[in-house]
Order: sequence, then structure tokens, then C-alpha cells
Amino acid sequence: MTAYTDPVFTNGYEFTTGAGYALPTYPFVPPPELSGTAPESPYPVVIVGGGITGLTLACSLAQLGIAAVLLDEDNTVGVKGASSRGICYTQRSLEIFDKLGVFDRIQAKGVAWHMGRTFAGEHEVYHFNLRERDDFKLSKQPAFINIQQFYIEGYLVERIADLGHVDMRWQSRVTACTQSPEAVTLSVTTPAGDYTLSAQYVIDATGSNTPFHAWCQSTMTSIKRDDRWCIADVRFKTSPPAERHTWIEAPFNENRAVWQHLMADDVWRIDYQMAPDADPAYVSREDVLRERLARQFGPDTEYDIVWVGPYSYKSQLLDHLSAGRVYFVGDTAKVVSPFGARGGNTGISDADNLAWKLAAVIGQQAPEALLDSYHAERHEAASVNVAVTARTTRYLRPADGTERLFRDATIALAKRYSFARTLVNTGRMAEANPYTRSPVCSYAHPLVGRSVQNVAFQWANGDDAQLNDLLRWSATRVLLLWFGGFSRREADKLQALTNMASVSVVQVCATSAALQAREGIVDPTGQLAAACGQQRWALIRPDSYLAAVGAQADTALLNRLAVSLAIA
Amino acid sequence: MQDITPSFEDADGFYEQLLDAHKGLDEGASALLNATLILVMANHIGDARALRDCIQAAKEARQL
Repeated sequence: MTAYTDPVFTNGYEFTTGAGYALPTYPFVPPPELSGTAPESPYPVVIVGGGITGLTLACSLAQLGIAAVLLDEDNTVGVKGASSRGICYTQRSLEIFDKLGVFDRIQAKGVAWHMGRTFAGEHEVYHFNLRERDDFKLSKQPAFINIQQFYIEGYLVERIADLGHVDMRWQSRVTACTQSPEAVTLSVTTPAGDYTLSAQYVIDATGSNTPFHAWCQSTMTSIKRDDRWCIADVRFKTSPPAERHTWIEAPFNENRAVWQHLMADDVWRIDYQMAPDADPAYVSREDVLRERLARQFGPDTEYDIVWVGPYSYKSQLLDHLSAGRVYFVGDTAKVVSPFGARGGNTGISDADNLAWKLAAVIGQQAPEALLDSYHAERHEAASVNVAVTARTTRYLRPADGTERLFRDATIALAKRYSFARTLVNTGRMAEANPYTRSPVCSYAHPLVGRSVQNVAFQWANGDDAQLNDLLRWSATRVLLLWFGGFSRREADKLQALTNMASVSVVQVCATSAALQAREGIVDPTGQLAAACGQQRWALIRPDSYLAAVGAQADTALLNRLAVSLAIA
Repeated sequence: MQDITPSFEDADGFYEQLLDAHKGLDEGASALLNATLILVMANHIGDARALRDCIQAAKEARQL
């Protein structure tokens, strides 16, 4: 067994080279605190960190009309000189971006892919075609879109500016955090001077090197990994096929793994697995990268290097996703290896989960206890994502000896037998994590605690619409869908509900002629009813998760509605 | 740990085939054959609980 020195964990970019990307810059505007015009009461929400998770949360709050402040230490999206990070966005994330109004731009810029091929040596081990998968078909969004992370961040910044409500403060670095039972106080350093501000809730979206864990004395479970990669973003003059290729053992990379996937602007992300003791500065040198690219694509291939940098990762899970009035989202909640795109995508879902709960509590539609369900739900999701990515890591970087022996066995078998392809683990793609033990879900059906896809239906006038249109209209209220006709007695019960501020009641019928309620929609294909488990009624939360279903307008409906909002 | 019930149709025949399959292989090739065989058999069993019991039974036998 070879002994290696501990690698330095880095998703920092001190060794990066390449032409880079041209990124937008945002102006520093002196905040009201520095001119003595700040509000006396605490801000409802302050988000620290303008990465993909922080911006998704900010945009969600802006759409729900919640006043918030976003503090970011930089003046741009991406990380300076290292703007290339996440690249693969799942259907669930794309649905969230659709709800926030930035999906069309992502779709126009990004690349939807559906073919994936996995190789070992010279042989293709297996391939998959996402177009053949039924479970992606209900949604209006595709299975995946690949796009450089900073594009989405830039679209969100512009969308937030259009929506208003959120004050985006650039070049504003938080240097201290204290809290009382009523509020959190942050110290902020800016080019125009230092100030403090208070908030009812602070959301830490600063990423894996967050200072908040120490400030809040948060504890975590952490696993160090010695796997090392070199990441290169390359623009080819003649593009390879628009497919995701993964090599478990690439002959052109000393039989180590290689990932090759496409992004916007004809840029390809190529990830090379390196020896665990590789020198990060050396493997990222331009001439070394060019040698490697020539081995992979042939000596005559013409390309520009857009960006190159070393990468290693750790695995980390916070024990509790909040500390007093501070909430942890994205990489401050958990850090996972990159396989399966479970980092950024789950950060986006963290934001989607927390945003409506904050808005409902601040708008006094739900008690503060609703916020406790953020930890219950997203910690379960984070645990699953840490466990799933750890399995992939073990497959891709097996320990010498038995672990490598079994991997060799899976590769040998997979070339011949389809059953063994299920053992080949080059990453299990992120999904909308189910919540199996949430205190705000009433588990009377297998679909409860799962995300409802962005299915199509029609408004009463026959115009096409999707679930996201309904969720945007319903805003912070939970959505009660009533399927089919109702009796006089049921009408009275439902009428009582429509008078509540925290719920919107919508009747769903197969034809517009059958609609009785004031708010009604048409589900001609029955796919909305199917997505909700073919029940009489379904409670869909603003984050599109199914909180409860039922068969009658009875006290169980009222109880389950109360549970969904933590009104116990 | 429950007892793994006897279910061989032909225990001696299987054992003979297993040994014959390893004939002439060096240590590395033999280990790879075993690993490959375990995966094929595991797929044949399929049932998650049965597989867990098999692993547990093997670990316990080793400790005797």
C-alpha cells in the first residue's frame, strides 16, 4: 500500500491558467448604513454569498416579495480567474429556474444532452440514452442541461434586479457574526468603510470555506479524500460528438479516469484523474495539459484552452443545518465529490426548500417551527447525497488490493453482461431527493414527500400552462388541488379553506365544462392527477413537494394542512 | 444471524467445478476469477436481504 501525503483540499484556484472567461462586474453602491439612513429594525433576511445557492434563494425571496439583503465579497459571478465550476443542471434545478423566470435563457445558452457513453481502455462498457427514460418525460424541462455555472448566476443577478425587493451588495465581506434570541448581527467590510447590520434570519451561502461554522460552533462529519483531478475547459475548432463520455480507465491518461462533457459556447469540460501524489501546479501547467490533450484527441486537433486548474475534494456533512437564526445552504450544509452533479443541484434545492418557508414565516402565515423542517428535510437529502457520492468515489478511486480487484471484475463483466453495468458507478445523477421522515409531511401515500414534476395542464379558458404557473400564482400559500366535482357539503368545507391566507384551493377537472369552483383548471390527459397519486385532493407546497393527499374533505384534510405548515 | 439453509442440488459437483475453474491460474488470476464469480452469483441471488445475510454468514464463519 502506497502512502501519500495528505493532499491540500482545494476548490480554490491559485494554480489556474488559461484565457479564462470574460465575466460581468457589478458596481459597489455604498449601503444606507454608511450614510446613516439604515432602517432601525432588523432586515427580515440577509443572505451571505452570491454563488448559485445564495442567488437562487435571493431570487426566490424576490419573487415572493420578501425584502432581503445579499452580501457578496466579490464584484462578479463565478470565482475570480476561476469562473468555471458546476456545469450540469438537473431537471429539478431547471424546473426551479423556470419558476424563477430564468429557464428560457438557460435553455437558449446551454446544451441539452441525452447520450452518455462509458469506456474502459479501448472498449465501450455501456451507453445510455436519456430520451428513452420515462421518468423524465412528465416535466416541461429536459433531463439535463449543461452550462457554465456563472451564466446561471449572471441570469439570476439580472432577474433579481428586475424583481426588486433584494438589495444586492457587492464587495461586502462579512467579518463577524453574533446573535441574540431576536436577531443576528453581522460586521461587514466594504471599500467605503465598515458597518454592522442586523437580520431576523441569516443564510450562510458562502461555500465550503465558510467562516460561519466557527462563528456558530457548528459541528460536522468530514471525510478526507486523496483523489486528485485536473480540470480543463477547452474550445475546439472541430467539436467532438455532443455526448457525455466517461472513461473509468483511459489509455491516454495512464489508465486513470477521464470525463468529457460539453457546455455552452462550444466549450468542453475535460476532467483528468491524476495520481494521488500529483503536484497540482505541474498537472495544471499549459504545456502538460497540451500534451495530455494531444494524447486524447490526436496531435493535429486545434483548440483554445479556456481554463485549467487542479481539483480535489472532501466529503463533509454538517450535523445540524441551522444554528439559532443562521441557516446553512449549499456547500455550507454539505460538501460532496462532484460525481453525479450532486453539489450545485442540491444547493439549488436547499434554496428552494428554505425560501418559501422563510417567506411564510415572515409573512405570518406559518409559525417559526416551519423553519425547523428545513433541517429535517435537507439534512436527510444531504446525508443521502454524501452517501451516494461516497460510493462513486470508492468506485473511481478504489483502494489498492481488493477494492481494485472487484472493480476490475465489474469492468470485465460489464463488457459482456448487461447486469454488471449496474455496478459500474461513474456517478449517480442528482435527483429531487425524497423526504421520508419530514415532520411537515403526512405520509398516507408513497408519493408524499416527493417532488411533483412540472406537468402540463390547461387554464379554464384552454390556454396551456404548467404546474410552475400555478405555484407562482399561489406564491407562499400551499396549493390544495381538488380533483373532480364536489358536493354541496364539500363545497362548504372548501369554501372555508379558501378564506385562509395560507392556502389556495383549485379545482381540477377533465373538461372546463365540469368546473364548479371559481379557481379551476383542466387536466385533459389526467397527468396532473397521476403526478399527485390519483387521489381526491393533494397538497402541493410552493417548492412543488407533495405534503399530503386524501380522499375526502374531512378533518384529516384540515389536520394535514396544519401539519404542512407546522401549525401543531 | 439465521442459519443459511442447505440448498445445493449437487454440492460435490459444484465444489469440483469451482476447483477446476481455478486450475492453472496464478494467484492474481484466481483472485479475479473469484471476485467475478461473486458478482455473477450476487446478481443471480438479487434479493438485497439475502445478499446481506450471505455476507454476514461469511464474515461470521471466518471469525470461528
